[in-house]
Amino acid sequence: MTRSRITPRFELEDTPVARMEPEPLPVAEEPRGGMGSAGLLLAGATMLGLGLAVLSAGNFVIDEFARSPVLGWMSLAVAGGGFGLMGAGAWREINGLFALSEVDHIRAGLESGEPVRIAQAAVDWLKELPEGAALLPAVRAMNDADAVLALLRSRVVPGLQQRADALGRTAAMQVFAATAAVPSPALDALVVGWRGVRLVRQIAELHGLRPGMLGTMSLLRRTAMSAAGVAAADMAIDAAARAVLSNPLLQHLAGDVAGAGVAARRMVVLARAAAAACSPLPPGRA
Amino acid sequence: MDWIGTARGLVPVRRTMRVGVTGLARAGKTALLTSIAANLLAAGAGLPALPALAARLAGRSFRVAVAPAGAEDLPRFDTAAHLAALARDPPSWPARTRTVSALALNLEIGQSGLLAALPPQRVRVELLDYPGEWLLDLPLLGLGFGAWSAAALRRVQNRREAAEFMAFLRALPARPPADEALARAGHRLYRALLHRLREETGLSLLQPGRFLMPAPGPEPPWLEFFPLADDSPLACLLRDRYDAYVGAVREQLMDPSFGRVDRLVVLADLLSALHAGPAAFADATAALAEVAEALRWSGSSLLPDWLTTLLGFGITRVAFAATKSDHVADRQRGNLAALAAAVTRLPMRSGLRTAAFAVSAVRCTEDVVWTLQGHPVSAVRGRVVGAERAGRSYPGEVPDKPPDAAFWTHPFLALPDFEPIRLPLGGRGGVPHLNLDALLAYLLEDVL
Ligand SMILES: Nc1nc2c(ncn2[C@@H]2O[C@H](COP(=O)(O)OP(=O)(O)OP(=O)(O)O)[C@@H](O)[C@H]2O)c(=O)[nH]1
Ligand SMILES: [Mg+2]
Repeated sequence: MTRSRITPRFELEDTPVARMEPEPLPVAEEPRGGMGSAGLLLAGATMLGLGLAVLSAGNFVIDEFARSPVLGWMSLAVAGGGFGLMGAGAWREINGLFALSEVDHIRAGLESGEPVRIAQAAVDWLKELPEGAALLPAVRAMNDADAVLALLRSRVVPGLQQRADALGRTAAMQVFAATAAVPSPALDALVVGWRGVRLVRQIAELHGLRPGMLGTMSLLRRTAMSAAGVAAADMAIDAAARAVLSNPLLQHLAGDVAGAGVAARRMVVLARAAAAACSPLPPGRA
Repeated sequence: MDWIGTARGLVPVRRTMRVGVTGLARAGKTALLTSIAANLLAAGAGLPALPALAARLAGRSFRVAVAPAGAEDLPRFDTAAHLAALARDPPSWPARTRTVSALALNLEIGQSGLLAALPPQRVRVELLDYPGEWLLDLPLLGLGFGAWSAAALRRVQNRREAAEFMAFLRALPARPPADEALARAGHRLYRALLHRLREETGLSLLQPGRFLMPAPGPEPPWLEFFPLADDSPLACLLRDRYDAYVGAVREQLMDPSFGRVDRLVVLADLLSALHAGPAAFADATAALAEVAEALRWSGSSLLPDWLTTLLGFGITRVAFAATKSDHVADRQRGNLAALAAAVTRLPMRSGLRTAAFAVSAVRCTEDVVWTLQGHPVSAVRGRVVGAERAGRSYPGEVPDKPPDAAFWTHPFLALPDFEPIRLPLGGRGGVPHLNLDALLAYLLEDVL
């Protein structure tokens, strides 16, 4: 009754705000991308280490040339080879990131609604998939965009989903066993984090992506986004995790280790969220 | 109850479930259909977009696809486009719906218990989107031109806004001839009257709906009529046109959907109605009741209820849903649901199940505690469309039963234009909602 006397009110806040985000989910607490202060420190240290190494290698090579040309050429070859290998590694990382933007590109193509772009995007995607080659002639022969999408949905997606689920279950099993066996909670977190990252990479590869370390980071971020809204108490996940844990021995263990079941469940969520993040197919339409 | 489900599980046919969604203009039908489709698709892809549904499934398989268009000639509801509009940055709300379209989803639901070895149950869920104005054409199906004219004139004759139209009627000769110019002039005045009533008084019970929201394309000549309660040659001409109009309603709304629905969702934007005032509130609820009356209720009182339920005759389940519940804080949503149940009267019959919900199809806000006049008040906070700033809103107290005179002495604020929360994964992860999962779990309860 006292409440009804409070005058209704609407008020605009003063400072601009970004668009509101859906509630984050537990998985997002695991490894996170982005440049925190730790990231900046790491980047600085890398730069110093690499830069100084390049400089001193350069000086060294010049010194060696001063001693004798043979030594000079040899040290140049060693330095060049070393830095070349490092460069190749960096190149792979960049490629991995690029592979992610490729998904966005394919996704944009599939969503474009323009028949030509859809067909091209479908071909691009199938080329990346291990078993996609078999479908290529069919897609090339079809000139109906909706039919192409339907083909992808009916022939490609179910297999991918099944395998992603299977990967998730395997990871859940392993994480469960590991966390049940490992005595320290700190180690638990490490095991879960590492297995989670590996799982996301496996699922990315399943979808034809080859993310490097940086690519994995950005994929993890997307996965966390895509899984946003996954409630910790979601029953479907519970049931899936329970199916994994139906082994009586594991069940017995689960009674003792409360955290292990939770960790295993996260793997199942993670697998599904990662699969959703990696699939370029637009939602809607059968 | 459960053995009915078991019996159904043994029948390997695809069941079709038609869900009639009745909602006046701007009630939130298009937003609801978009959210239902997106969240079911996300749930079918294994993402936990609908927790209450997942709880009922308890790990059984669940697949969802938008059904391919069959041979029917109704346009399809463009889920992808509506979803893309909400996912975009900045997002945009659906435009006013201008024509009828159908959303059909194929669900494949794994069976439980002893039936688990059987193939999954297939259910086709059909919903219809249409301009809210057209909803009020449904009651016309049961009314002849004379009865409709009498009722329509009774409603408007004493209103200030109707002065011009009434003057025209009075100026007609005693037995007006079937004259095209007269029909057109009367039609123009009546149409202008409906527009004025909607804009100036916020009334909803305005018929025929196509006068306010014309169908796309050139206007058919039979649209030009107006209520005239006598039996003159002009009235005969108008009656023929009225009958053609009713025929179009039957063909576009009743036959493809509303005539065959087995579940009903009565949507009502009660929060806006509370703002609009006592007359508009009463008019809106009367409009919904009139529509509910016009739907096909199981006429077969000869059959026992369990049989009609099993065979899926008539409407067996009704959900009253107050929309846009994200405009009030969680504390008030219980009242909102209770109010939704209390304001709509239905032709009751035994075996009919009803439940009330306060839903938000496209969630825009978060709950906050706001100190007003020294008291902590549960309010909501969301980003305001176009302002790029957040707004806090406490529109007033929601009553849990039809508001009395005392309620109307306090103001209830208009709903601000909030912007939808970002959709997870650009829409593939569903649309953030409030309580939509409970509504769907209730509607689908006997097939889940
Ligand atoms: N905050 C909030 N606003 C909503 C929600 N649903 C709908 N709205 C608002 O209500 C308006 C109308 O929603 P629509 O879904 O277009 O309504 P409709 O019933 O399809 O309207 P017609 O097509 O004109 O019959 C939207 O533009 C939104 O501003 C909701 O869940 N939350
Ligand atoms: Mg609409």
